[in-house]
Amino acid sequence: MENLQFGLLLALVGMTTVFVVLMLLILLSKYLILFINRFIPAEEEKTAQRPSDASKPIDAVDALVIAETVKMITGGKGKVTKVEKI
Amino acid sequence: MNILEKLYQMTAISNIVDDPSFLLMYLIAFVLLYLGIKKHYEPLLLVPIAFGVLIANFPGGGMGVVAANGEGMVTLPDGTLRNIWEMPLHEIAHDLGLMNFLYYMLIKTGFLPPIIFMGVGALTDFGPMLRNLKLSIFGAGAQFGIFAVLITAIALGFTPQEAASLGIIGGADGPTAIFTTIKLAPHLLGPIAIAAYSYMALVPVIIPLVVKLTCSKKELSINMKEQDKLYPPKNEVKNMKTLKIIFPIAVTTIVAIIVPSAVPLVGMLMFGNLIKEIGADTSRLVDAAGNSIMNAATIFLGLCVGATMTTEAFLNWQTIGIVVCGFLAFAFSIASGICLVKIFNLFSKKKINPLIGATGLSAVPMASRVANDIALKYDSRNHVLNYCMASNISGVIGSAVAAGVLISFLG
Repeated sequence: MENLQFGLLLALVGMTTVFVVLMLLILLSKYLILFINRFIPAEEEKTAQRPSDASKPIDAVDALVIAETVKMITGGKGKVTKVEKI
Repeated sequence: MNILEKLYQMTAISNIVDDPSFLLMYLIAFVLLYLGIKKHYEPLLLVPIAFGVLIANFPGGGMGVVAANGEGMVTLPDGTLRNIWEMPLHEIAHDLGLMNFLYYMLIKTGFLPPIIFMGVGALTDFGPMLRNLKLSIFGAGAQFGIFAVLITAIALGFTPQEAASLGIIGGADGPTAIFTTIKLAPHLLGPIAIAAYSYMALVPVIIPLVVKLTCSKKELSINMKEQDKLYPPKNEVKNMKTLKIIFPIAVTTIVAIIVPSAVPLVGMLMFGNLIKEIGADTSRLVDAAGNSIMNAATIFLGLCVGATMTTEAFLNWQTIGIVVCGFLAFAFSIASGICLVKIFNLFSKKKINPLIGATGLSAVPMASRVANDIALKYDSRNHVLNYCMASNISGVIGSAVAAGVLISFLG
């Protein structure tokens, strides 16, 4: 009976500790995310650069290679009207 | 005639004829080998464990682990009593054989489970947990099975230390179960390790069974992506790489402050994860932690755990109690995770699929994969894998913390 009471107490303490630790981890991670988003948003900058890369004009040599390839594959019937970076 | 008799005495046959219980141990070893090799049930661990059982039970082979009593006394082959902790390692190797040398050096000291945890950390991605932080709390709910079985086992007559080692099977985490058992009830190491890894291998059977008994079709059809669209998460992570590097340091610090006895497990898990997240600068360390060190540790852990399963240690009523209570611990853990989700859904507009609670027990990533398969049966567009991984990974931390509490109070 004494052991059983001790077991119940241990269960209560154990479950509370597990919940407290995980709650603290969640809270801490939440504030870490806020801090990192505010002061070190490195990935955002990288992704922000991508659209500007896409908007750059296609290099003249690349455009020529693409046009020649299309011409060769289609037997001269195909024509490149627009080349777009995606 | 005399020579023939001596030859008969030299072989293991004479001992097996005298004590046929060895045959039962061979049968257990063959069944475990079959499950590991043919059925692919946790082969990386079941095969070494099963082979350990086999070689430990050949009389005269000297490969079975000789268990020390409460005072650390062991009986040597010549019948003398010695305190194992006063014996130098070379004497253990000489007097008790290779397996006892490995067992008392690597297992009894609690060395291997944290080393395996380091490897697990090096292979774990905390990204899904950090993207779905709120779901991580269900990793705590699923630890209830540990404590429910602790109480049940005490009621059945186990000592609190034995009951705690039994309950920790519900954490569905092999190294944690072994670490706790080494500290609290080393005489039960063999059956508890076998039960823990067997039930982990049976996750694809146990989770669907408990889910079927506790969840409705409507609940299992809750589409998490649609819920995300209706109630978008507030915190979008803009720099996951930095967050992943800071996270293991933060977790170790918090756990070390609140439950220092969980540090060997959580600390090593997070160290493994930290070197993984740092990237190229520590890639050689990750390679060692996640491959060569972890593989070597797994071999020695498996063989030594198997070698503890001698006839005297395994063939008793306690083993049956462990098998039954281990199953209960697993089932309670899954059910309690599901119940916590159901309670959460009562008070929240954003509904959570109860499968995310079911994966709160560790068994990463198998539990999440099984839960995802169940969700897809009810709605072919409902991919819950990433959401389940959040509670699944937090369950690893949760079970290590629970083990720390048990060791602090009972160790």
